[in-house]
Amino acid sequence: MSKLKLSGVSKAYGATLALRRGDLEVMAGEVHVLMGSNGSGKSTLCKIIAGSVRPDSGRILVDDQPVTITGPRSARAHGIGIFYQELSLAAHRSVGENISLGRLPVKAGVFVDRSELRQRAARYIGLFDGVSGEEFSAEALVGSLRPDQRQLVEIMKALASEAPLLIFDEPTSALDRAQVERFFEILRDLKRRGRGIVFISHRMDEIKAIGDRVTIIRDGETITTLNLNDTDPATVIRLMVGGAGDMPASQSSVPAVVDAERGAALTVRNLSGRGFSDVSFEVARGEILGFGGLHGQGQSAVLRGIFGAGAVTSGKILIGEESFDASGPRKAIRCGCAYVSGDRARDGVISGRPIIENVTPIHYLRDRLMIARPRKLRHKVAPALQSMQTKFASLFHPISSLSGGNQQKVIIARWLIDRPDVLLLDDPTKGIDLSAKADLFALIRQLAADGLGIVLYSSEDAELLGNANRILVFNGGSVSRELTGADRTRYNLYQAAYEAA
Amino acid sequence: MAETATVPSYRRAGGIGRVLERYPFLPALVIVVALLFLNGFFSPNSLSFRALTGLLSTYMALILLSIAQTYVVYAGDIDLSAGAILSLVNVAIVVLMERWGGGAGAVLLALAMGLLLGLVCGLVNGLVVAALRLQAIVATFATSIFFTGLALYILPVAGTPAPALFWRAYGGRFFGVPFVFYILAVLAILLAVLSRTRLVTQLLAVGDDPQAAYQTGLPVVATRVKGYVLCGLFSALAAFCITGDTASGDPLVGGKMTLYSVAAVVLGGSALSGGWGTVVGSLLGALTIALVNSVVFFMGTPSEWQNFVQGLAILLVLMAGVLAGRRGRS
Repeated sequence: MSKLKLSGVSKAYGATLALRRGDLEVMAGEVHVLMGSNGSGKSTLCKIIAGSVRPDSGRILVDDQPVTITGPRSARAHGIGIFYQELSLAAHRSVGENISLGRLPVKAGVFVDRSELRQRAARYIGLFDGVSGEEFSAEALVGSLRPDQRQLVEIMKALASEAPLLIFDEPTSALDRAQVERFFEILRDLKRRGRGIVFISHRMDEIKAIGDRVTIIRDGETITTLNLNDTDPATVIRLMVGGAGDMPASQSSVPAVVDAERGAALTVRNLSGRGFSDVSFEVARGEILGFGGLHGQGQSAVLRGIFGAGAVTSGKILIGEESFDASGPRKAIRCGCAYVSGDRARDGVISGRPIIENVTPIHYLRDRLMIARPRKLRHKVAPALQSMQTKFASLFHPISSLSGGNQQKVIIARWLIDRPDVLLLDDPTKGIDLSAKADLFALIRQLAADGLGIVLYSSEDAELLGNANRILVFNGGSVSRELTGADRTRYNLYQAAYEAA
Repeated sequence: MAETATVPSYRRAGGIGRVLERYPFLPALVIVVALLFLNGFFSPNSLSFRALTGLLSTYMALILLSIAQTYVVYAGDIDLSAGAILSLVNVAIVVLMERWGGGAGAVLLALAMGLLLGLVCGLVNGLVVAALRLQAIVATFATSIFFTGLALYILPVAGTPAPALFWRAYGGRFFGVPFVFYILAVLAILLAVLSRTRLVTQLLAVGDDPQAAYQTGLPVVATRVKGYVLCGLFSALAAFCITGDTASGDPLVGGKMTLYSVAAVVLGGSALSGGWGTVVGSLLGALTIALVNSVVFFMGTPSEWQNFVQGLAILLVLMAGVLAGRRGRS
């Protein structure tokens, strides 16, 4: 039975056509994967179903009945629940309140029914018992949680809608393996109970693990729907990118050997701080050093600490030969240290400002520019953006007009005008489509070849294995294992990440 | 950027941090106690039961106005017309009580009309800000001029006295206990009841992140309008207190109080960006302002310097509160 059917749905924002012709049919009891590169219209399609975006044309059928969804409330009334990629949580409310926020239990008509609220929270928190991390409770404020825990809350909130049709727009981007596996168990259970599930992810292994059918969207148009059992990843990716589709370089080729003669770009000795202790490593010029392990084991904290954005209590950092003690990011930038975060909204994008302003802040800082002259800057900005095939209509369009992948390219481009010596990448590909990932990693390898020392933390093993010359596996805030040469296998990485956890 | 400033960072907060997370008004409470000591130091008399009762009945209006302001600030809005609503209700009830003869029935009826007037004013604000989507600061500034205009139409010059029955009751005692303490007790119950309502949770969720609240399926516009209505109602209650205290009508009495109410909300530890705060904090914030003024007076500050010292003292208290909050969270 068809739970949801969309035919010929379209949406335009001004002159840009976000969705040209969206078709989708979701059956009861299936996990329907939606695939497409970023900016292809997946999220728009999801938001149309969830009611936060109104379509310009097209028909929506729920349980074979034509419906008009006027807003998120009406979508809920039609039995649709959604996990928002950018999360829809109230940071100052507790986990329990957030889970039930969509339909707060009331007594006497006006009061919040606290005991019902608690019971409901306990039920959904219980689903993730053991993988949600310590200090995760119904009373904890969402703002005080780690990113992966917040993502779990958003999942619980979507589940708590108890909607017959659930949409998950990249629900696993911040989760670690154990959390993903638990989540998949829950999805399989929902499937058995006849729910329809729409699932978006960029991770091929997850899609294989959970999906039944896949619908591929390219340039705002639904291309086709396939049975996942009858197809292979290469076909899917070919359909997604449209013709020119080999597996992206990041997943196939092995990184080049490093020329150790060039000396150390970054040396860290016995570094301790909030969330990590006694971390030592050295990155040679031209080397890509990978940070691996489960989520939140100190990888990000170390990178932020080096960059002066996090707390460091003791230890020594050298950039090249010189001692480097960043009291703050300004100092770090002046000393030639670059940092790119996967959390673009928090650490990268200057929202609401044009693309050109988003490319140039580092240039201003390093060159101590006082007066901005867009005409002159354009010559510096253009090559930096072109080196990653960034797609944009005009340098003066707001950055929000770009897809996530292109936004991240803009953020990286800001470091390319004045080359840094050390590049710290903190899960830079979070929520980015496969072709943008391929462009990014091609650039990162090029930068390494040019002599930069690069530290790459990635939550995706394939990215580490495909790009890093060495991998340090983090566990509980310190390095538990170093994988080099032929040891860099998926098995070893997996095992090292889990062994002490 | 506002987010990094107000959201408790996802690093673990320390012990004090956790307490502050639950009771964000603690710094305000400490400051109130400290100010009480200062008052006692400069003039032991100022801590007498009589003096404190006087202080409370004078500042009860500000307390209520600050609480009114808190509910809109919860939702990330602001109401710069709260003081004007207070003035309008003040003159309206005084004129009505006088017209209707000043008996007990007239007083009660006039108070009911006053509440209704506050509700309507709040509704106007809510519709203008939430439904017409005008900027809260500018829109409520505009309605404040409009409300003041109405107040001046009803009573062009200050001075019409309130019936003796009304102000005697407000300043009097029942069973040996001053009337303001009954007000305080009823207020405490009212606030406790309100804090358990779905509306307050929804207001806070809307103030936290309006987009997220909309996507969650909350009725964002309706919630914000209700916040303004609540603010209008409490502003009317504040007007009752100011009428009891001054025993007369004055079309401009509340003008100055608006920004004091905003300051009290901030002193009480609430975030002006919304989503975070307590009404108890605002109550303590209003008391802080009251005690600062009283300290400045008892210190024997020359009258021409009183404003200067008051401003300085409030600035200091604000800084102390902010520093305490920051230290607790890091």
